[in-house]
Amino acid sequence: MAGDPGAPIGTTALAAHGLSKRFGRKVALDAVDLAVPAGSVTALVGPNGAGKTTLIRVCMAFERPNSGGVEVDGVDPWKHRSEALRRVGYVPQTPAVYRGLSVEDHLSMARSLHSGFDASYARRRLEQLGIPLDQRADTLSGGQAAQLGLAVALGTRAKVLLLDEPLANLDPLARREFIQVLLDAVRSEGSTALLSSHIVTDVEDACDRLVILGGGKIRLDCPLEEARQTHRLTEADSPPPGATAVGSFLGKGGQKVMTLWRLATVANGEGAAHGAGGTGDAGPSPEAASLEDVVLGYLAAGRGAGLQLN
Amino acid sequence: MLARIRLTFKQHRFETMAVTIVCVALTATALVEAYRLNSLNVPLACLQTYQGGYMTVIGGPSQGPVTAAQAQCNELANSFFDMRRSLDMNLVQLLLLLVPLLAGIVVGAPLVAREIEQGTAPLSWALAGSRRRWLLGKVLAGVLLLASLMLAVGLAANVLEGALNPGLNPYASFSNYLGRGVMDVFWALAAFAGTFALGTILGRTMPAVVLALVVCFFARAAWDSGMTHFVLRPFAVQQVQQDQLQQQGYVVYGPGGPSTADLYVYYKSFIDGKEVTDAEVNAWYNLNMVCVPISTPTSSDSTSPAGTGSPGASSSPGGMPTPDESGVDSGVPCQNPTIDPSHMPQQVTYVIPGGWYWQTVALESGLLLLGSLFCGAIAFVWVDRRRPY
Amino acid sequence: MLDRVRLTYKQQRFETLAVAVSCLGAAAWAILASWHLNSVGVPASCMVGGSVPYWNGPSDSSWMAAACQLPSQRFTDALNSWDVGIVSSLGDVLPFFVGIAIGAPLVARELEQGTAPLSWALAGARWKWLAGKILAALLLIVPLLLIAGLAADVLRGAKEPGIDPHASFDYFTSRGVFFVLWGVAALMGTVALGTLYGRTMPVVMVALIACLFARATWEPLMDAYVLHGMAVLEMPGASSPGELLVYQSDVLYLDGKVYTGTECTLSNGVTACQVAPGDETDPSSFGPQQAWYVVTGDNYWRVVALESAIMLAGSAALGALALFWVGRRRPY
Repeated sequence: MAGDPGAPIGTTALAAHGLSKRFGRKVALDAVDLAVPAGSVTALVGPNGAGKTTLIRVCMAFERPNSGGVEVDGVDPWKHRSEALRRVGYVPQTPAVYRGLSVEDHLSMARSLHSGFDASYARRRLEQLGIPLDQRADTLSGGQAAQLGLAVALGTRAKVLLLDEPLANLDPLARREFIQVLLDAVRSEGSTALLSSHIVTDVEDACDRLVILGGGKIRLDCPLEEARQTHRLTEADSPPPGATAVGSFLGKGGQKVMTLWRLATVANGEGAAHGAGGTGDAGPSPEAASLEDVVLGYLAAGRGAGLQLN
Repeated sequence: MLARIRLTFKQHRFETMAVTIVCVALTATALVEAYRLNSLNVPLACLQTYQGGYMTVIGGPSQGPVTAAQAQCNELANSFFDMRRSLDMNLVQLLLLLVPLLAGIVVGAPLVAREIEQGTAPLSWALAGSRRRWLLGKVLAGVLLLASLMLAVGLAANVLEGALNPGLNPYASFSNYLGRGVMDVFWALAAFAGTFALGTILGRTMPAVVLALVVCFFARAAWDSGMTHFVLRPFAVQQVQQDQLQQQGYVVYGPGGPSTADLYVYYKSFIDGKEVTDAEVNAWYNLNMVCVPISTPTSSDSTSPAGTGSPGASSSPGGMPTPDESGVDSGVPCQNPTIDPSHMPQQVTYVIPGGWYWQTVALESGLLLLGSLFCGAIAFVWVDRRRPY
Repeated sequence: MLDRVRLTYKQQRFETLAVAVSCLGAAAWAILASWHLNSVGVPASCMVGGSVPYWNGPSDSSWMAAACQLPSQRFTDALNSWDVGIVSSLGDVLPFFVGIAIGAPLVARELEQGTAPLSWALAGARWKWLAGKILAALLLIVPLLLIAGLAADVLRGAKEPGIDPHASFDYFTSRGVFFVLWGVAALMGTVALGTLYGRTMPVVMVALIACLFARATWEPLMDAYVLHGMAVLEMPGASSPGELLVYQSDVLYLDGKVYTGTECTLSNGVTACQVAPGDETDPSSFGPQQAWYVVTGDNYWRVVALESAIMLAGSAALGALALFWVGRRRPY
């Protein structure tokens, strides 16, 4: 799941510094610092209202931040909008289709708006998926409309792809196809993708980094593997030594309350337990957390104290 | 850019087709109506002597019977005026007045507002990078469509104007000048610019239409008096009646009013070279003239021979003033043979002469264009600042 | 039901506000314009046939008493002022504006925005759903247009101080209850269009054109087919203020008697009848006249009731079409 070797190592494709955004009294983003490495496919996960869409919209210069800033491929979109947007391929939350225009018309429109739009590339992608170019876009299925949106975004040949919950309304097969097309493109182009999604299995398949947003703040920002290794799952009343509780939720089967723990990381990146009495003395050995557990734990933390069983 | 224009028409295909069909049909209808009027081949002299209805009084009751030729003349003139007053003619003239504004509103309202409503603006603006360039492409499409259609409509309106008022050169006459010719183009563009500016600000099509209708109604209603009071007043010159009659083809058809070439702006009254108010003129007449009181006529009185009426007072066919018009018969004028006519109050009318048609149209078109550019500028500034939803 | 009415206004808050402001603003303006005219204070003795004579300036002083000249001139100036002019012309457009603004988004916007499937699923009976929305619209526009229409009547009364506007057909289809009738007709027609087409903007366009044609053809059609039978032949010189001129006769009066055109021609010996010189004080001496068939002002309420019934029937038919079609069409 690593980025294309051709992508520059160590550079940041998308960065946010102290980014804050309020809507009236509601804080959508609260001093967010983020650095998305170039060539990575980063999952942006969080509960509803966490600020995922707002973050993407700020990067697109659709929302003006109250403080802080963003850079997209090194360019501030609020200072140099055209330049920044030239480097971005965007898939909005709801598929944007023009009623009455055909699929081909959408590619023509994109070509007329975006210098450097590669219509033949986009067309090939659509043909591979069997989407007729002369079909009216408002008669496409949800999956096809999403693929059209992705094809348009990929056709920009942008270095950064921002995808705002593109999988939300897709069936499992459509999601699988979408992710496959996305990964092919990212690998071949060396692009960076920021993909917001609720569906953890898709995140696991597609992404190599995980960013969890909760209450407008970054709760976790690390490679996927590190996320798994540095978290443990136990029953609510049996903490691993030296670990910090993240959040509690109902385990599989809905009988037991499970708690996600974050271990202190060591220099080699492997998780370790610390504390008086050494390891294993506190109770049953903690389970290695799956990615779903990690996400659930942080989502639960965002909602409050977790569940209590009678 | 061509692709963008084509796609804009395709996105708004209903509006594009509807406006095109209406304008083409209106152009054709205006030309047909003009042809119908012209094909009556009514001699100008018949129209000039026509006093209304089947019954004419040439020179008043004291003259002799009408000759056969005069009666024939009257029949022809009657057919002309019947056609002029017909429902279809009125409908066409009403549409010529309204279509430029409605077309501008219909094309302008969904230009930005629909993209925002339908949620396609984030994608378009993301692809375009520069929102202003995106908007420019759409605006160009609207301008191309409206300018070409309205030019056709305006030219047809000019042809119809020439048929409605034979003897008047429509390009040297201010009769209905705001509703024909190139003015149609600029009205449409002004309505278009105002409406897409409203759409950009409001982001909703229907509210933009509603507001635009109100604004356009008031703008159109206030334009005439606004222009004459504030813009044209400094340019108005004294109307020279006799020269006017000879040079500009001033035609008086009788009751129902003439179609004058000149554009009335204001008048002044003078007594012995000194400017006076209307009250002072009234006082002078009451003091110096001997007036023969006549039996007070009702406003719809028809005791006078059919067809009589003071010039300028409109009346129904047959010469009977309608109750609402409050026109009165002039009766016998006041007189005082001992007063030198040069010492009597003189009314001087200030007009924009018909010969200045193109200059005036250029000026008013320029003002409309300025207004359009101002509205367009607002839209271009706002589109950059607003959110795409 | 109250909730449904309230929510309908909330869904269309912009249009509701615009319509309320327009109607109340126009009514206030009409009242102000009436006050402007009435404040001139033209003495009753100066009126001619219930109207203030048009004062063309000093050259007409031959017939007008000195005491009447200035008030008449001021009245004429007030009548021709821009504010009176504009508010007078509002009467021809305001009811249609109201009907279209409220009617167009009533169904079409729900279809466009994709909320119709949900609403129709919840409502069960779609015609009941639409009837509730139409009722909300009527509860809004009827009182507002009635206020504006009555103000227009007041303005008409101020323009012709000696004539009762409810016994006068002057511009009668542009004031009074006709405001409500036109508004309701425009509303129903636009709702029907919205139900048929399902897109707001096209509905507005078609409705505008349809209303234009309806307004322009209403009076000629009423004159030709409805009022034709009610009109009576009027002797020249017997006209009364505020009467409705329905159609003109081809019958020519000659010496007070009725003649056909041919008889007139034969009696005169020329190809067209001509006016014979005569005494101005004796109408019968003027020879051939052309007469009008008229409906006099005392039939005002009868005519209004008749035309109202026709218009309401048309509105009801359009509403029925909308209620029928909403049950059949797809919700998108």
